[in-house]
Amino acid sequence: MSDIIKTTLWEVISLNTSETESGWLIEKGSASAIELMTAFVASPRFLTKKIVSVSQEQEKKLMEALSGFSITGWSLVRTARVWLLTQLDDSDKNVFIKNIETLFDTAEMNELVALYSALPVLSYPERWLFRATDAVRSNMGFVFDAIALHNPYPSNYFSELAWNQLVLKTIFNDKPVHFITGLEERENENLALILSDFAHERWAAGRSVAPNVWRLVSKFMNEPLLSDMKYLFASGQPENQEAAALACADSEYAPAKALLSTYPEFEKSINEGVLTWSNLEFTDLNTYVPTLQR
Amino acid sequence: MCQHCKDSSAPNPSHFEEGDGLANSPAHVEMALSEYNELIQGMRFFDPHIHMVSRTTDDYQAMRKAGIVALIEPSFWVGQPRTGLSSFKDYYSSLVGWERFRSSQFGIKHYCTMGLNSREANNEPLAEQVMEILPLYIYKEGVVGIGEIGFDDQTAAEEKYYRLQLELAKEAKLPVQVHTPHRDKKRGTERSMAIALEHGLDPSWVTIDHNNEETVKSVLDQGFYAAFTIYPFTKMGNERMVKVVEQYGPERIMVNSAADWGISDPLALPKTAALMKMRGISDEAIRLVTYQNAIDAFGKSGQIDVSDFESGLSVEKTEKFHGNSILRGGQQPDVSKNSLVIQ
Repeated sequence: MSDIIKTTLWEVISLNTSETESGWLIEKGSASAIELMTAFVASPRFLTKKIVSVSQEQEKKLMEALSGFSITGWSLVRTARVWLLTQLDDSDKNVFIKNIETLFDTAEMNELVALYSALPVLSYPERWLFRATDAVRSNMGFVFDAIALHNPYPSNYFSELAWNQLVLKTIFNDKPVHFITGLEERENENLALILSDFAHERWAAGRSVAPNVWRLVSKFMNEPLLSDMKYLFASGQPENQEAAALACADSEYAPAKALLSTYPEFEKSINEGVLTWSNLEFTDLNTYVPTLQR
Repeated sequence: MCQHCKDSSAPNPSHFEEGDGLANSPAHVEMALSEYNELIQGMRFFDPHIHMVSRTTDDYQAMRKAGIVALIEPSFWVGQPRTGLSSFKDYYSSLVGWERFRSSQFGIKHYCTMGLNSREANNEPLAEQVMEILPLYIYKEGVVGIGEIGFDDQTAAEEKYYRLQLELAKEAKLPVQVHTPHRDKKRGTERSMAIALEHGLDPSWVTIDHNNEETVKSVLDQGFYAAFTIYPFTKMGNERMVKVVEQYGPERIMVNSAADWGISDPLALPKTAALMKMRGISDEAIRLVTYQNAIDAFGKSGQIDVSDFESGLSVEKTEKFHGNSILRGGQQPDVSKNSLVIQ
């Protein structure tokens, strides 16, 4: 792992802690593995409950060191826990792995959040793949969020199958899909087809689909997907129509372009840059309410 | 918690088995729900003993609606003996993991106490292993004490692990939640207190649970907190509870439901508060025994921040501390129970 991450994390921590707090962390960060792990668990007893303030410059440094890695909005405890893990001795691979596994096995909810947040910066990253997919299986919303949203680990290490599960579960749980790191890079045909099936189930139940998810189909537009676009245009729901227009505009599939040209007002606002996917990046989704779409 | 129920006719063999049974139980008070809601209007409650792993989402919704804003889930026996260490580990993890999350979805702040229960202390080979992993859990966020520990059959093994855990509590600077035995209760309670004092624990850091009219005086006189469990038929009824508060006042007394997998009542606190209000007990006394005293007793752990729940556990606030201030985080929508149509 890059030293820039360690030092930038510490820079943030030292600017967000009292002398007693940072002193405690320095002591524990260089202590024996077992003492460091105990400090990982006990940090809420020693650190203030607050959100760290992070400067743009610090964020930039982290992003440059590891694309997609961001600590904006993290609590002090979460940040300190991740930093402590970066201080854990990794020279003996087996011992290091055993220690991290012990923390996972006995973790409470916030510790799990910190552990999953730390995955992209932990040593032996491929070793944590099973843990990471387990977090996607979690029904604890915060744990799921820690791996799925703003975390570069999945896009770097997940297989296509695991990736698609992550994206689908994010959609299924009404969480904002645009917070997934690497969403565009990991687009794939299987995911586009699964999304179409998913939408049909939702529509059959009288429920809706977050319009933003259609950004994942444009590269793979084909006849069945095109008929979904037609359905969206015909829904009379502006957000659905905008999503269909954007998906068609992004597509190289000629019939999609032709479909879009029958809706000149959408075509125009896309060409003028007025309508983009960011117009549809909602964070307060509730697609289960049956009245949203007719 | 009834391994040796002798009276098979007892309607509720779960948490309490001795005692006053149906014959002595107070007359059932019929009260319209609206009337009862009116009495406790604006009150909020802290249930310091309830086993939510055995309760449904209906209970969580009803509790929230009735004004319960926070609770403590003591670790306990699960109805049958555990056969290995992993079962203990998973159980402890669930108290600080899934159950904590589940509770937050209903807007109720969830704390817990960690401990090896008296019943399973009798399986010494397993108890040894549990004692080894217990320190991993007691320092966790939101763990407000060691509990529920104490005596069941009052065996030598129970005493050994009770003493070891009292030492652990001292070392970790955590309050203790003491379960008192169903059988030979009075002497078991005295013995539990004597041992705690012998180990040098400050009695104001120890809550003696499941009191009744026979045990309360000595518990209060010696400076301990006295908890009362309102549990239908087999233990304290809330009319008796009202009399206890009338007689002893509200100081160091707290009410809990100890609701579990038996026929118990997760709304024991709001119902008892309503009854106290009807019987003319002051609002301040009601607040102390159904909210504040529990916070004072277990807040000594340093793990209770009342701002987390005193004006309701807001989902936004919970999420803020997970860095997800813009997400819904999966709060359960309010579903009307009276609708035939399920959407």
